[in-house]
This record gives sequence, structure tokens and C-alpha cells, in this order.
Amino acid sequence: MTQYIADRRDIDFVLHEQFRAEDLSQNDEFAEFNKKTIDLILTEARNLAIKEFLPTQEVSDREGVQFEGGNVKVPESFHRAYELLKEGEWVALTEDPDYGGQGMPRVVALATLEYFVGANFAFMMYPGLTHGAGKLVESFGTEEQKKLFQKKLYTGEWCGTMLLTEPEAGSDVGALTTTAVENDDGTYSITGNKIFISGGEHDLAENIIHPVLARIEGAPAGTKGISLFLVPKIWVNDDGTLGEHNDVVCTGVEEKMGIHGNATCSMSLGSKGKCRGTLLGEENKGMRAMFLMMNEARLLVGLQGFACASASYMYAVNYAKQRIQGKNLLKALDKDAPSVPIIQHPDVRRQLLNMKVYIEAMRSLLYYVGICDDRREISEDPEEKETFEGIIDLLIPIAKGYITDRAFEICSQGVQVFGGYGYIKEYPVEQLLRDCRITMLYEGTNGIQAMDLLGRKLGLNNGKPIMDLLVEIQKTIGEAKKIESIHGYADKVETAVNKLGEIALHMGKTAMSPDVMKAFAFAHPFMEACGDVILSWMLLWRALIAATELEKGAKKKHVAFYEGQLKSVEFFTHSILPITHGKMEAILTTNGAAVEISEASFGG
Amino acid sequence: MEILVCVKRVPDTSENEIEVNSNGADIERDDLVYSVNEWDNYAVEEAIQLRDKVGGSVTVVTVGDDESEEVLRREMAMGADKGVLLSDDAFTGSDGMGTTAILKAEIEKGKYDLILTGAQADDGAGQIGGMLASILDVPYASLVNYIEVLDENKIKVGREIEGGNQEMNELNLPCVLSIQTGINEPRYVGIRGIRKVAKLEIPIHGASDLGISADSVGAAGARVKRVDYFVPDFGEGAEILEGSTDEKIEKMIEILKAKGGIK
Repeated sequence: MTQYIADRRDIDFVLHEQFRAEDLSQNDEFAEFNKKTIDLILTEARNLAIKEFLPTQEVSDREGVQFEGGNVKVPESFHRAYELLKEGEWVALTEDPDYGGQGMPRVVALATLEYFVGANFAFMMYPGLTHGAGKLVESFGTEEQKKLFQKKLYTGEWCGTMLLTEPEAGSDVGALTTTAVENDDGTYSITGNKIFISGGEHDLAENIIHPVLARIEGAPAGTKGISLFLVPKIWVNDDGTLGEHNDVVCTGVEEKMGIHGNATCSMSLGSKGKCRGTLLGEENKGMRAMFLMMNEARLLVGLQGFACASASYMYAVNYAKQRIQGKNLLKALDKDAPSVPIIQHPDVRRQLLNMKVYIEAMRSLLYYVGICDDRREISEDPEEKETFEGIIDLLIPIAKGYITDRAFEICSQGVQVFGGYGYIKEYPVEQLLRDCRITMLYEGTNGIQAMDLLGRKLGLNNGKPIMDLLVEIQKTIGEAKKIESIHGYADKVETAVNKLGEIALHMGKTAMSPDVMKAFAFAHPFMEACGDVILSWMLLWRALIAATELEKGAKKKHVAFYEGQLKSVEFFTHSILPITHGKMEAILTTNGAAVEISEASFGG
Repeated sequence: MEILVCVKRVPDTSENEIEVNSNGADIERDDLVYSVNEWDNYAVEEAIQLRDKVGGSVTVVTVGDDESEEVLRREMAMGADKGVLLSDDAFTGSDGMGTTAILKAEIEKGKYDLILTGAQADDGAGQIGGMLASILDVPYASLVNYIEVLDENKIKVGREIEGGNQEMNELNLPCVLSIQTGINEPRYVGIRGIRKVAKLEIPIHGASDLGISADSVGAAGARVKRVDYFVPDFGEGAEILEGSTDEKIEKMIEILKAKGGIK
């Protein structure tokens, strides 16, 4: 069956069979989101994505954004797409319905966004950032700020951004130099330059609200002296009417490798000395605000990369079933043998299965973080809440860093399946590869994610989150061992999990020792090992459900899907986990070459 | 104005590759994605717009199994006020007349000014609208692409006719219209609409509720029986042009000239 963007059967499997998302509707907060509602939401999201957003993908990539005299025009096709997104109220899926949100469980929102982002990633960044800005207002705004901005942002009537990066303050946010000086009327005058601002200026909405990180005069150096401000493109009067243009100007847009439809702007604030903003939250607490928003933002970036990979796989597998090229290997010498679809060639099958197992396992991982967040939200037991919080905190760098690394590789394999055609713009896998690449860089590079995992998350709460996670994994292993057909895979996952426990302990100790530099040179391999083992858990969990259903006598239409789940865990445990063991051995050795080599020896 | 729209759950052709099943009597339905019939969706949109203009309500109805409820819920999320599922084991295998008889029984339980159907559905028979008007003994117009309410008893209806020409008619109410695609631009379903219908119970009416005897409908009552279903063999005379695009165009022009298609 030909499907676009994402495999609906697999999404349904993860939502309903693996995580039982409809159970959330037993709680008042999510009462509306029963199975029928969830299914209808996904059907309509897919409908909108395929009919309206997907047709804009290629044309907007070619057209890009236009910058002229401080103004930016988005690709023409985005205007209709954005109107439809607003009309359907798809901007703030998980937020409070009283403020224009839809109160949806996060796990359902992730599935919805998978279709939208997979259809046009660059387009979806505009509403994505708008939602994020709205969330900042909701979390830290005064009643007055909420009244003026929150609903406008959650409904998408106005757009939002996040002004953080500066030329000399990228990964090191604490180095930022944008300043804020308090005026007599309680507003602040902001002065500085920001770069890499997604959606910093455009013509999709009447107004753009910029949350801006800046340093109040006299504030401490570094991250401790950073405050957050709300700077509208057009000033908003106390009665909600629009005032005069604020002194925040787009001075240029970047020419990028991908996401061409999204305007990546350089912004100048206060070049005429007239940029006004209001303080959002407390003075010098801007970084705290950023940290609170970080989990959600990083999870979304993981989903962005993943959605590119998922779409690439859909294109690749459909293409491989149709593209006729070469004889079946078993009939290679038979000159009369017909040419066959390339999916019959062993190496193409290997690539496709490799893509399939990562897509399935990563979808499960992302949705798992989502359902943990939903369960945390509705839990009334403080201890349980804390457990979910810990697991989420631990998994976020993996859901962002590990997943986007793999996603890019999968997009590359998608190109490979298409052969030479994959490299030309006529086929969509080329664009997906380029678009996907940014997800490894922004919202904290994947190196930063690996450092976050090793430096902060591993030792969080004396290691309780990782212990809690290992307990969850063991539960699945225990259940899987009871089923003959998957017992062997459970053993392999268990061996890998035990080894991971060993290297986690080793890395924790090494990071606290004089060998700290060596430890951090292995932070990224450690994130890889964690990711691999967690994916093997997800695949075992899926296989556990599939094996149970097959034993019960699954309906004919589900048999191939369930059998596919068993093949996924078989492939992963036999062809990928052995490499993970090699990676873990290397981590245990913690060889110092990377930190010991002199800079001169690098050459260059 | 009380409007009833008859809708059907059909395989979504944009999401499926349709294949004939192994016994040749139907298509392979196991792995299909279903949605509301496209023509019916235009009919529902038109009904919603008419209701918004002149007041009243829109009811959507379908004959089908339990799973057909999803298309009713979907059309209600789009803006229809009520939904009724006509479902009974006895209805399975109904021919066009059987389906029409089931719909008639439901229609007579209410009082509708206007009854809309899609011009056709997945099977392309396009028969329900005409049959329904006939057995209800009300006026009928097919392939409708324009509706204007003149007064409480009369509407003006545009029909698409041969060669893209347009025909205008006045019809007395109540009447049945089969709706052509393109009459409007159906709206997308937003989340608020979906949330609104999340907990609605959609009534199910079976044969006894409708006062229909089980043997008059379904396979038992069907007087039209599908006996075969197949993809035609390739005929003679087809030629696939090969070469670069320019070469293909050149050959095509030659053929058209040779056969008198162009001079």
C-alpha cells in the first residue's frame, strides 16, 4: 500500500497497542481524547498534511524566502497553508483550551505533528516557534502580558520567535551582549544584534512577538545575568490595539543548505535607540526560563529530524517496490529472466530493513517520552510524578541528539535506495536529507546533548532516573522471556542492558575523576550506546505485543505487520546490537587519544 | 430548512492501490484506508452552507457497518448537526434498490425539506439519488453544481451538462439532489469540531427500528447481483512511445498527423 509521510498502521500501533493512549481519557483532563477522537484527529491531520502542506514542500524549497528592505516574504504557497492551519486550530495542540489551545495529550500531539512536519518541515517551524513563544508567555508572563499575547500566539493570529543566539554567543549563551535598560515607564530599552533567528521577520502574520534574551545593565556576567524580554515587532497598546513599529529590524536572511522556506534572520534591536520590550519573568532568571522550555523544544527537534527520516523511508520503500532494475540474483545467469523490482535485491532489502527498524524504534521512543509527560501531568502521586520527570529528563538528550543523528543517516539511506535519482531534485529524498541536517545543530548541537546526558542527566538525583529506566526495561525483558518465539531476543537485549549499566557506572566515575576530559571525549559514543540499547528495548516491547497477538490468532490484515515487528527485533539484535557491544567496549577502554593529541598534530 | 445528506464510507483512492481480490467478486479490502466518499463530502459542505444561510439543521445518514460511524462523526465534526447510522446484519449485501429502501424508511421517520446525495460513489453506479426521489415521489435533479433557496417551497438548481454547459431549474421542495464535485470547496475538519463530537452517541437504526422486513433488503432482497469483478486485459493497438521527451513528442505529432488528429 502506498502511504505518504508516515506509516499510519505503525502510528496506530504505537499509540494504541504499545502505549494505550486512550487510557489517558479516563482522567478528566484528557476526557475528550478517547480512541475515536484520537483516530479522527490523526485522519484529519494526515488529510490536511497530504492535501495542503505536502504540495508546498518542493515548490517552497525552490522558491525560498525573499528579503528586501528589511521585509521578508515567505514562499507564496505558505499563506494558504497557514490560514488552513489557523482555521483548524492546529497551532497549540497541547495547551489550555481557554487560551486557544486544544488540551491534547502530548503523545497524540507528537503523532499529529509527525504528519505536519513530515509534509513540510520548514513551514511548520513558523507555528512551532509561535507556540513556543506563547508557552513562554503562559509560563512566565504577568496577567497583563498573558491577556495581550497568549491567545494571539496560541491561535496563530500573531507569530512568535526566540531571540537567543548572537554572533559570539551560540552554544555559550552566557556570552551574549544584548543589553536592556529600564525606562521610567517600566519598559526596557533593548540594544543588540541577534543571528540565526528562525521566522524573525516574515509576512505570514500581522505581528511577530519576539522573546529576547538580554542582560540588564549591571547584571552579573555569564548565564546568571541573563533576563528574558518580550519585544513585539509592532507595539501592542494596553487595550490590545496595535501601536507603532518597534525598532527591531531584520538586516538579512541566511542562504542555507535546507529548510529554505523558513526565514533565518539576522535581527538588529535598537539600532535607532528605540527598541522597547517588557520583562518576561524575573530579572536575571532568563536562563531558568530557557531550561524549563528546553525539554519540549528538544523533543520537538527530535521529532523534526525523525519526521524527515520517516518520510524518506516511505518514499524509499514505495520506490523500491516499483523500480524495476536488474535480475533477481538467483536468476542472474538466466538471460531470459525478467528484471525485477529492486526490493528483491539483498542489499536494498538490508538498507530498507535498517531504515525500518530505526524508524519504528525511534517513533516508539519519541512517543514514550510523550506518554511519560502525559502520565506525569495527570499523576497525583508526587513520587510517581518525580519518576516520570526523571525519565523524561534523562531521555531528552537521546530523543534529540541520538535520534537526529540517526535520522540524518536514514535520510542518506533513503537517497541511496533511489540510486542516482536520489541525488537529483526531482525526487523528494534529496530535500529531506538537506532539511534534516539542521536538527543535529540547533536547539543545542548533538555534542551539547551528549555532554548534557553525561554531565547532568546521568548523575541526576544520584542516578535515580537511569535506575528507574533500567527497571522499566527489565520489566519488558521479563515479559518477553516468557514467550518462546522472542525469548532469544530478550536475552540479547538483557545482555546489552547489563553492559550499559556497567558503562554508565564507569562513565559516571570517570567524569568525576582526573580523566574527566577523556570521559567527555566519550560522551557522544556513550549517548550512542544508550540510544542503541533503548531502541532495542523499544523493539523488544513491540515484538512482545506482536508475538502475543500472533499467538492469539491475529486478523489476516494485521499478520504481515506483526511479523514485521518480529523481523525488526531480530535484525536489530543480530545486526546492530553486536556493533553496540563494540562501542561499549571502546567506552570502557576510554582511550585518551582524542584529548592527548597535540593541536599541532591535527595538521591543518 | 431541514436537510438530510446521505453519505458513504469508501476506500480512499489517494491512499490505496486498489486490487481485485482472489475470488474476483470484490476488491481486496483488508488493508485499505477508508474515508467519506468525495462527492458526499461536497454535499455535506453545501448543506452546511445552506443551513448557515437560511437556518435549520443538517443530518447525515449512512447505511453501513459499525465502522461507518467514523464517517458520520467526521461529517459532524465538519459541521453537520446530527448523524444516524443505519446498520443491521440484514442490510449486508444490499443492491442499490435495497439501500434506497433503507434510506427511505429513515427519511420517512423525519421531515426533510431537502435530501442530498453525492452524484456517485466508489462503485460509480450513481443510482441512489434518482431511485430515492422516485420512491419518495419528489422532484429530482442530478449532477447539481449550484443551489439557491428562492423561498420556503422552492429552490433554484444549476446542473452541469454536456460540454461544460449549464442548465438552471426550479424545483419544489421537498426534493432530492445529487451533488457534483466542484459545487463548493469543502472545509477541512479542525480540532475544535472533532472535540465537539468526541463524546456524542450516534444513534443506530436497524431493520426493526425502521420497520423493514429483513428479507426485502440485503443479499436476500437483492435483485442485482455482482457476478464478476476484473481488470480488463490489455487490448490491441496500444503503443508505448519510447525515447527522450522530445523524441516522444515528435513521434506523437507524427502519429496525430498520420491519423488526421492534427493537420
